[in-house]
Amino acid sequence: MSNYYVYGVIRASDDLEFETDAVAGADRIYTVSHRRLAAVVSDIEETEPEQTDEDAQRHDDVLREIMEYGDGRTIVPMRFGMVFENERALKNVLRGARPAFRRTVNDIEGTVELGLKLVREEDADVDREAIEAAVADELEPLAVDSTESDLFSDRLVLNRSYLVESEDREAFDEAIARFEDVHDDLLVQYTGPFAPYSFVDVHIGAQ
Amino acid sequence: MANQRRPDSSSLAEVLDRVLDKGVVIDVWARISVVGIELLTIEARVVVASVDTFLHYAEEISKIEQASAEGDLEELEELKVETRPESSPQSATE
Repeated sequence: MSNYYVYGVIRASDDLEFETDAVAGADRIYTVSHRRLAAVVSDIEETEPEQTDEDAQRHDDVLREIMEYGDGRTIVPMRFGMVFENERALKNVLRGARPAFRRTVNDIEGTVELGLKLVREEDADVDREAIEAAVADELEPLAVDSTESDLFSDRLVLNRSYLVESEDREAFDEAIARFEDVHDDLLVQYTGPFAPYSFVDVHIGAQ
Repeated sequence: MANQRRPDSSSLAEVLDRVLDKGVVIDVWARISVVGIELLTIEARVVVASVDTFLHYAEEISKIEQASAEGDLEELEELKVETRPESSPQSATE
């Protein structure tokens, strides 16, 4: 018997066909709907899939394909490894968490996540607070929301993710370029677009 | 045209940071057994997090829990969290 690997939740629609490779070598990706929400799934044998680089990348590729589908779709991304044992359990969660999913779909509609890491040159002596302020001045007005991540290296000066409306993408690209032009002592790692992983703060448990 | 910097979409490390640590989490018990929806717990923060949107949301959730506990499933379907005005950035005061 097969389990369901879930990539994310979208508004139900009947015209989706997927071309991206599925996690764990499944031969197709499809949707399981409950009313107006649908989970994007593929079949999987194990309930705790191994976290390989390849399968993590495939998970992300599937989300990307949905985001770029037609003139763009909205998906609430799941963390890697959300496997359901049967369709009833999956539909039950779609039903029980429906308000949270619908609210999240509405909140993130038309947005992407962009990542920014600023790394100082080896010998550079930089003013962290001034840089944080300069980045905030340039980027926060163009973002719907932003969130900070760990500074896991002492050369890492800033590590943030931004939720940006599609229509503000170009302005955001320009703001990054402006910032980079005047900060020669910083390496700018600008990444994305990603599904809004960092902005879907939803946790579903069972009592 | 103004100078632009394009984001790099090919970084595996950036993908792993997100796919493995972020995104919606569903506890295993809600995934491997058919839990009645009255037993599901749902914690969610709205994207544009202001104090009042969060409280409002929590309130809706508790209404839903109450409705489901009373077995009013059809009525529950009519409870629309998103019928109120969308939360807006100007309400996002700290």
